[in-house]
Amino acid sequence: GSSSVGRYLLCEINVSDKSQLLLLDDRAVATAVKAAVARTHGDYGLALCTIRFSVKYLNTHTGIVLLRFPKRCYKLLWSALPFITSITTRGHNIPCFLNCLHVGGTIRTCQKFLIRYNTQQLHRMLPKCKNEEEKQQIREAILDCSLEDGTKEAFEEESESEEDEEE
Amino acid sequence: MSAAKVKMREKKMRNQPASVQYSTSTLNEDRNAQNGDTSVTGKLPVSGLFARARSAEVKAMLKAVTKTTGSSHLFGALPKHMRRRAMSHNTKRLPRRLRDVANRMAGSKKKKEQAKNKSRKARRRHGNLLLEFNRRQRKNIWLETHIWHAKRFHMVKKWGYCLGDRPTYKCYRPCYRAMSSHCLLQDLSYYCCIELQGEEDKLLAALSQMTSKQAGPTFAAALCLSGCRQGSVTVYRAGQFPSQPLGPVTFLWRPRTQDSTHRQLWIWAHPTLKQDLLPELQAVCQCCEAVLPPVVPVVTPAEANPILEPESRPENPPEAKPVPGTKRKRSSKDAGGPPAKKILGDGTRLPTTPVTWKSSSTGIVINDLTMEMVRYRLIGPQSHSVLAETLEAATQHESASTTGGCFSHTKRFFFPSCFLFCQQVVCVYAFLSNHHCVIHPGIYSTGELPSGTVLGLTVDDPRLTLPTKKVKALPSVKQLMLRGVPAHCCQSFLWEQSVRDNVTDNKISEQELNRMRSEVLVPGSRLSPTPLQGRVPILLVHQPGKQVGHEMNSWGAGFDLLLPKGWGMAFWVPLVYRGVRIGGLNMSLKHSQNKAAPHFPHDYPDCPAGVRLQEEQEAEFLDKFKRHPPAKRTNYIKHGCLAPFCCPWQQLAEEWELIMRDGGEERKEDSQIQTTTQTDSVMEEKMTSQDITVTRDRKSLRLLSGWCRPTTSKGQRPVRVGEVPPLSRSAAMSFLAAHGMSLVWVRLSLFSKGKPEFHAMLCVPTAEDLKLLGKKQGNGGPQEPLHRDHFKSRIKCWKKDPKKAATSSVSSTKPECKGSDFPSASDPDPTTSEDPQSSSQASSDLILGLWPDPLPSVTSHCSRVTLGWATQGDFSLSSGCGEALGFVSVAGLLSTLLNQPLEHRGKLLLRNPNSLHYRFAKINIEV
Repeated sequence: GSSSVGRYLLCEINVSDKSQLLLLDDRAVATAVKAAVARTHGDYGLALCTIRFSVKYLNTHTGIVLLRFPKRCYKLLWSALPFITSITTRGHNIPCFLNCLHVGGTIRTCQKFLIRYNTQQLHRMLPKCKNEEEKQQIREAILDCSLEDGTKEAFEEESESEEDEEE
Repeated sequence: MSAAKVKMREKKMRNQPASVQYSTSTLNEDRNAQNGDTSVTGKLPVSGLFARARSAEVKAMLKAVTKTTGSSHLFGALPKHMRRRAMSHNTKRLPRRLRDVANRMAGSKKKKEQAKNKSRKARRRHGNLLLEFNRRQRKNIWLETHIWHAKRFHMVKKWGYCLGDRPTYKCYRPCYRAMSSHCLLQDLSYYCCIELQGEEDKLLAALSQMTSKQAGPTFAAALCLSGCRQGSVTVYRAGQFPSQPLGPVTFLWRPRTQDSTHRQLWIWAHPTLKQDLLPELQAVCQCCEAVLPPVVPVVTPAEANPILEPESRPENPPEAKPVPGTKRKRSSKDAGGPPAKKILGDGTRLPTTPVTWKSSSTGIVINDLTMEMVRYRLIGPQSHSVLAETLEAATQHESASTTGGCFSHTKRFFFPSCFLFCQQVVCVYAFLSNHHCVIHPGIYSTGELPSGTVLGLTVDDPRLTLPTKKVKALPSVKQLMLRGVPAHCCQSFLWEQSVRDNVTDNKISEQELNRMRSEVLVPGSRLSPTPLQGRVPILLVHQPGKQVGHEMNSWGAGFDLLLPKGWGMAFWVPLVYRGVRIGGLNMSLKHSQNKAAPHFPHDYPDCPAGVRLQEEQEAEFLDKFKRHPPAKRTNYIKHGCLAPFCCPWQQLAEEWELIMRDGGEERKEDSQIQTTTQTDSVMEEKMTSQDITVTRDRKSLRLLSGWCRPTTSKGQRPVRVGEVPPLSRSAAMSFLAAHGMSLVWVRLSLFSKGKPEFHAMLCVPTAEDLKLLGKKQGNGGPQEPLHRDHFKSRIKCWKKDPKKAATSSVSSTKPECKGSDFPSASDPDPTTSEDPQSSSQASSDLILGLWPDPLPSVTSHCSRVTLGWATQGDFSLSSGCGEALGFVSVAGLLSTLLNQPLEHRGKLLLRNPNSLHYRFAKINIEV
């Protein structure tokens, strides 16, 4: 029913030092989001944020985080995300900011977007490489980006991603 | 969360990526690992690491996106609102994009659906349909009305035929009403006809071995021999009367022609009887020479080769005059292969199976005419009005000049008085005055005809006079009935094989008839020039109704209509349009039940066919019984019912004979009656075990019937009581000397409420019961005390045993069971004298609620002594009380009658197998 309808926000955590990302965990991210919402929208916002908010996925290597908000108020909560400047985790305060990449209705669409986005990122990295070694590694990574039986779909995503490059 | 839910969730989340993060406890190790990793790839720049992380993530996401969550099927991936019923069965129900994958998945277990590749339209096309029908009637013979019946009846496969059992609509009472006040129609074409041809004296000599005058008129009865009447007789194995009966048959002599001694005889028998009767007839007539079909001209190619037989409809008209607008696509196709022909007659028989046997010594020819003729039975007082409306005597003008007509093959010199004959029959049939017939005006019921009257006719195609609407045939006031029919009126062309085949071959097809109808100037009017092929020879045979007893005389009388094969539906539909009811097998059983006549083969326990049927029935009932869960079954042991599914007649008769003999011996010791000594000695001689017989001897039956009538009861006409010698011990003994092992057919009508059922027990009331009955009429009757089921514990023991038995399967498990047997065996059992110890061997197939073999004494098992069982029982709509028909042991009956006071003579108790309540009933033996 409508009670289970949510919005999924695919965000990227940007930090200056990539190794710091490894310290993150989903609870820390959730606390940071809640704190930001409380700061910008007060108790009302905090209350909204407690109902069906959760961190669905967090990849500490890439800094990708998937947040679920209730659909009813996701815009309100979303507006609080730029106010996150640091995340406190395990005694460290990591300065960072969240960059929202995609808003989806299902996890699945977010996953699909993420595939596209990641491959796009890899392709973008390719010309920026300083030496051949790096280039080679990225090429390998790109080639690695496909399942054994899911090649076709992956290529489709890639071709799509190339068109969206202007963003 | 339960374990199952956890499992489900795991399954669901199997492909979903988990968060990539490090918990506090493992962080350090991981860091170390990470450090180690980085140390390995330490020289790598950050970008390389980052790229690898990205690619790993992409991989995980791809897996999550592409792999479906559900493991089982492809349509697990579909959202719920797009799922459809039976998707896995038929991939076409899937969205098209998924079909390929589904087909590939289902490819391993290929369905056999390819067989039905023809569309329904193609399958229903006439030729294909015919082929399909022909294929389906290869195993069981279809009657000509099969399709009509199959649309309206519950069909059963019985005796090698497909027969309608009962209609799918509710019509039990309407059918009864039709039988008693209007007309009920049945297709009896499954009855087998055997034709005998030969010299009259030789035929009679051969057949006399199979019958006896004591059981009523035989094949040689003068009226029947003349051909005016149909006779019925019970046949026995040659020279074995009164033992080894085969069953009842009806027979019909062809009327004499020109003082020729060559005669033709039709014997009509039930299909189950035919397999016994035919070899017996062959033996009696010494006809062992099988004549192969093509050799003998008597057997037409149509009979011998029904598949290749030319179709009944004329083939030429459609080709000769193609209807404009219809494409004849099939004609070219038909030319390729042999076109499908409608099977007429017996489709199950091989074309090479001989149907004719000839004797060189006696000159008798036996012909198996099974399915060669159609036989319809009309039951009810108005059946003659139905026939009168349906059948119209053929106009004779063309018979003088026919050359290519229907009877072109008729040897006219054989019937020089052909035209005269036709005319007379027409007159008789039209119920008009004729100098040959004695006319009785104002006869309104079919039953008033002399029984078995035969009437040969040639009638017009009844389809020509088919009413546009179904109407109910009503008796016309001007109707007159004939009392006697002259012999030549019984003559019919139906007896001639060649005429029969000719008529069958030249039948106008329905299609052609409709075309002719459409060409009539005034739509709906009758086709004025009757087509030449539209004349059919038929035979009408009167069937007697209830002949025995005093009440309801001639109830259920009617006509049998004999037609040449192929004309079945042409007569069926016009008859149905006259408002008759149609009955199935079920109704013929009820018909004979109301007539109080034994129904073949149900009520012939001494005939081989009856024995076979009883075995079948037992298996069927047992199967039905076993389908219930044990707790929901009737426990027949507790009800004191030894054999609810079969009647052990043999055992019953033996036991009663033993009882009577013991009784006699005791009396002999007492030397009270001297006369018994003689009979006793006779009985001693007959000690040897013999098979049961059913008393059919008329004289004996009359005697018994007189004896069981209460002499002082009111409402009973003292008919012929004077003739019957009074019942005494000596008379009974002398009677028993002849009928020691016999059963007798009785009818029981209940005094009060109660509906007797199949296999109800007929018991002897005790003196107290009779006293009670005298006191209060409304008294329901005595109760049977509940019996003990001591097999139950044994079954329980066996249920536990298999575990033990499994361990010691090689060594016999008997001792264990025996040990548990003894306590149960020692249980005091008030009624059974004999404990079935021997049955412990068969304990494994004990069925809860059924007495295992061998049965204990059947007569003395219950508190009231058993005399016999009912083979049919129902609430009788004609008499308004429960009525049962069955057999009782003659010995038992006589001893009961001897011990009963005069005013209560002939009163018995009847108890249903699933009840403990005895009901009083009056016994009737009707001759």
